[in-house]
Amino acid sequence: MKIAFTSKGTTWDSQIDPRFGRTAFFLIFDEEKNELSHYSNLDSIDVAHGAGPKTAQKLFELYPDVLITGNGPGENAAKVIEKTSIRIITGAADLTVKEAYDKYKKNEF
Amino acid sequence: MKEIVIISGKGGTGKTSLAASFAYLGGKDVVVADCDVDAADMHLLLEPDFKFPEDFFSGELAYIEQDRCIQCGKCEDVCRFDAITHNNLKFIVDLISCEGCGYCARVCPANAIINIKPNVGKWYISTIKTGSIMVHARLGIGAGNSGKLVAKVKNKAKEIAEDEFKEFIIVDGSPGIGCPVVSSLSGASFVVLVTEPSVSGFHDLKRVYELVHKFKIRTACIINKVDLNFSITAEIEEFLEEEKILLIGKLPYNEDFTAAMTYGQTIVEYSNGYLRDLVVNSWEKIKQALINIKYLK
Repeated sequence: MKIAFTSKGTTWDSQIDPRFGRTAFFLIFDEEKNELSHYSNLDSIDVAHGAGPKTAQKLFELYPDVLITGNGPGENAAKVIEKTSIRIITGAADLTVKEAYDKYKKNEF
Repeated sequence: MKEIVIISGKGGTGKTSLAASFAYLGGKDVVVADCDVDAADMHLLLEPDFKFPEDFFSGELAYIEQDRCIQCGKCEDVCRFDAITHNNLKFIVDLISCEGCGYCARVCPANAIINIKPNVGKWYISTIKTGSIMVHARLGIGAGNSGKLVAKVKNKAKEIAEDEFKEFIIVDGSPGIGCPVVSSLSGASFVVLVTEPSVSGFHDLKRVYELVHKFKIRTACIINKVDLNFSITAEIEEFLEEEKILLIGKLPYNEDFTAAMTYGQTIVEYSNGYLRDLVVNSWEKIKQALINIKYLK
């Protein structure tokens, strides 16, 4: 499974970024490879309008199985993601990436 | 730290008056973020000192490098916004009309046109009359609010709140249901909808709630000017109950709202009677609801 997180930094201890469209980074944990990689989202943060759909496009290219985030994409971005098989889990706003992952593994979301 | 966003959908419902009152009541426990940047007027009530200004660059604008321009006029031909005109073979971009689409730059055979990010206004970190920090912005003429600017204002407020261990961020949200509102709501812990019992007030409440609902944020509502139309008030209450939105205040129409504004004060400073009590009570209910959310988690 590949699990994506919207995050403010690039490590397991980074805070989850509660925003979707203008999240600072995507962190992807590949469970098979036991590998954590990060992708900057700076170009989406910098657009005046339409950050959500642009970020959704990026997520589509990374194609994780699951996305863990704060309170979820807005309508336009959600429409894009609905067409994929990516599962969205919200409610991780106050956690670190590690805490969010553990909570997900325990099925507590 | 909890982020409370106050939005209304419709203008003129009392959103900013209430947001400023909550900011006043929260005193030193809050950082304020004015994200209603198109018509920012929270500063009239909270007296920020505009101490730390910074330029804000956003959007796209065509820029013609005159020494490279070969005066072929192709840019003027293709511009769909009539933003490029020429005067004695000097081609100029009208900054108000240009939408930054980049068509001119694409057709320019001399590569003399580039897109630049214009300076559209300033954003500020100020100290307000309660001694708290307020993050706000002021746009130039013709510039529009954007999700980007709202995100900037909110993120800065959040950073300050975290550094200074503040309990709340109070966000005066943007109007409507577009990009700036999505950006206002993104990452919020709690939403307060301010509405009034008029046909458009109720209509816009429902529209903006659709958006809030997508974000799955706990929501409360204040009905202002309840005595304007009791039957619509009843309809709104029914809607709130159906949607499980917490009703935290019903305020009567009261001229103290406008009078307070005239004196540059929040309602809780200006009014010391019944209206003040109702506003204080709504603020207490918001705080209580936030405690309950924590407890539920």
